[in-house]
Amino acid sequence: MSGTESVAFDTPQRERRADTFAMWVFIGSEAMLFGAIFLVFLVAHIDFGPAFAAASKHLSLPLGTFNTAVLITSSFTMALAHMLAVHRRWRAAAWALAATSALGICFLIVKGIEYTKEISDGLAPLLGLPFRYTGPDPVHAEFFFGLYFTMTSLHALHLIGGIIVIAGMIALWPTSTPANRLRRVVALGLYWHFVDIVWVFMFPVLYLINR
Amino acid sequence: MTNAAMPGTYLEEGSGPRAWLLTTDHKRVAWLYLISLTAFFFLGGAMAVLMRIELATPAGDLVSDDVYNRLFSLHGIIMVWFFLVPSIPATLGNFLLPLMIGARDLAFPRLNLVSWYVFIFGSLFALFAVVAGGVDTGWTFYTPLSTLYANGWVSTAAFGVFIVGFSTIMTGINFIVTVHMLRAPGLTWFRLPIFVWTLYATSLVMVLATPVLAASLILIVLERVFGIGIFNPDLGGDPLLFQHLFWFYSHPAVYIMILPGMGVVSEVLPCFSRRPLFGYKAVAMSSMAIAVFGFLVWGHHMFVSGQSAYAGVVFSFLSFCVAIPSAIKVFNWSLTLRKGEISFETPMLYALFFLALFTFGGLAGLFLASLAVDVHVHDTYFVIAHFHYIMVGGMVTAYMAGLHFWWPKLTGRMYSETSGRIAATVTFIGFNLTFFPQYVLGFDGMPRRYHTYPPEFQFWNVLSSAGAVVLAIGYLMPLFYLGWSLFRGARAPGNPWNATGLEWQTSSPPPPHNFETMPVVTRPAYDYDMKGLEHERFSPHQEEAAG
Amino acid sequence: MSELRKLTFGYLGLLALLALTVGSSLIDLGGFNVALNLAIAAAKAVLIVMLFMHLTGALPRLAVAAAGLWLVILFWLTLVGR
Repeated sequence: MSGTESVAFDTPQRERRADTFAMWVFIGSEAMLFGAIFLVFLVAHIDFGPAFAAASKHLSLPLGTFNTAVLITSSFTMALAHMLAVHRRWRAAAWALAATSALGICFLIVKGIEYTKEISDGLAPLLGLPFRYTGPDPVHAEFFFGLYFTMTSLHALHLIGGIIVIAGMIALWPTSTPANRLRRVVALGLYWHFVDIVWVFMFPVLYLINR
Repeated sequence: MTNAAMPGTYLEEGSGPRAWLLTTDHKRVAWLYLISLTAFFFLGGAMAVLMRIELATPAGDLVSDDVYNRLFSLHGIIMVWFFLVPSIPATLGNFLLPLMIGARDLAFPRLNLVSWYVFIFGSLFALFAVVAGGVDTGWTFYTPLSTLYANGWVSTAAFGVFIVGFSTIMTGINFIVTVHMLRAPGLTWFRLPIFVWTLYATSLVMVLATPVLAASLILIVLERVFGIGIFNPDLGGDPLLFQHLFWFYSHPAVYIMILPGMGVVSEVLPCFSRRPLFGYKAVAMSSMAIAVFGFLVWGHHMFVSGQSAYAGVVFSFLSFCVAIPSAIKVFNWSLTLRKGEISFETPMLYALFFLALFTFGGLAGLFLASLAVDVHVHDTYFVIAHFHYIMVGGMVTAYMAGLHFWWPKLTGRMYSETSGRIAATVTFIGFNLTFFPQYVLGFDGMPRRYHTYPPEFQFWNVLSSAGAVVLAIGYLMPLFYLGWSLFRGARAPGNPWNATGLEWQTSSPPPPHNFETMPVVTRPAYDYDMKGLEHERFSPHQEEAAG
Repeated sequence: MSELRKLTFGYLGLLALLALTVGSSLIDLGGFNVALNLAIAAAKAVLIVMLFMHLTGALPRLAVAAAGLWLVILFWLTLVGR
């Protein structure tokens, strides 16, 4: 019972394995959540392929590509943070965590720029804003943009959650035990990589329908 | 003998609000849930009573149609998500799972406490929706009514359910990891009590199904609050797609609700017939089969909603298949009783009632799975009778069985056996009086969710409403005699029923970390003595005599 | 550190796959574009899961397999209904 967070476990090793297993189960459940959202998009895409393809072209391919690279890099820095924590290089690990959250914030800023442009172009059919789409089939293009905002904002919310937790971890870094630091990096790392995987699918599904 | 909590037990360890509201002891978290869930049960029940009073007469004279719509919607929302889904897992499951596997607590005790707070937080939204005027969409939130046309607090109620879903997922994760990683030495999977198997199967369903509900509800909220068209047919959205997402969760959800009840019955029947559970492996495996197959049948809620006839045939066939594991369990439970030395303590009465009522309700499910029959009875009282036979006649009955079976373990007290038997019988009579007429009504064509009806339906409606009064009395009685037992009940020994299972090898109530010495398991699960007939049966008088 | 090399190769591989998916989408391959993009996304996911998330051990793999299977059930039986 020494060294374990929960009174139930006899050894810290067993508890760590339980932590990892629990995180994967949680990721499985999150996969079902995003899967359901993707299913809604898939059904709509099947129904209105040409309209969706035309509408997708109005998204910024450069910004979307850049953002994907940013998130991939943030996964790299998060993986570095884990590796450094395993090797007990705590300062370097904290820096890697900070870099991860900075990249996440960069993603959100770019997303904000995209949103701003889409709103000012009249391509945001939400909150009663005017929708001024000039391509073919504006009704179904509006559907596309509604789904685009839904999916990317749900992803962004998850990203914001991850950034907040990283910030909290860094804040507690000096006062937390090495065991706790490692546990938290492992758990958060799994979450962060999962959110990256969601984007890895969202990017082609939304931006690359038919360029 | 004083009335104070026994020293050295989990009840004695720390008192006052902080010791309970900040506890990480799974046994105390179970009590937090028990109190909250009981409150919600009676709130949802009160709505049902109002509905039954209205339906005693054909005219809509008690409440307006709009108010009636809100009553049945809130009744469903509260009973499904704020009582049935958490009920056995969060109360009995939380309390007993570590005990039954020989562990000191769940894998993640703090997550357990957080799950209760998440539940309470979500319930605040739902309660606000109730007080502010309610929703009229039915508990099913079908689009486009819920997204485009319904007035009322749809977003608030949906958001409340969304939050509570995460409480469910946390509990599921906790139980899955606990069962995999904290079993006592020697406790292999096939030595586990069936209650543990059913909690595990339930947890799998919780983790895999609830996120899809979360997705469907958050899409409703986005559509209403942000004006994004997702299920709006004007934009090309498919309202039926909402039903696919909703029922992908909500059909497995009924297995979340019933599986733990099946687990309870699997513990009680062997104990009070002094026989091992018949066909242990079949019962364990069929619990897993129910969890898996339960995900393949959701389209049977949508036979007449506009999905293709081909899909209807597929889902109908799969729905017949899902009945098979449940039937296997019914056969095994029945055979457990054979040549047993049966006694009719309160838990056993409830368990036997479960057997009858669950079977009867399940058979009605086969009618509903038949496409042609369903066209006739869909959205009638036949459906209502079917699911109330399972949910109330099955699940709530099993919950009562479990509550009474393990009450001595939870509280260290025995309740009045006479009161218990009377209450059980009253609920059985009241239940059948309430819900059997509804099969007739549905088959005769009375639609559900209407506050008025043609006069020719009145006879059966009056019977049903009278039954509701009797049922309410039966459910209120335990509040009194169980509550009374907390102060005046006889002290319970460690194993008052002479039952098998690790939870009975420790004191009643258990010490804070469950066991003085951690157990090692060498025997199979239901190791009841088949040979001898001289079994000690606990009675309060024996305890007094023994001193 | 070979761990660092593995991570770096994984990172570069992900960037290469990103270039591939964007580049191929600029060429009109008809319906094959979508399939190719999804395949590339799946490849990226596998890279992330194996190299960054270190998916090892029977239980975590079982969790991932179960989620994958359940997504298949969700998608398949819904689309059967249309």
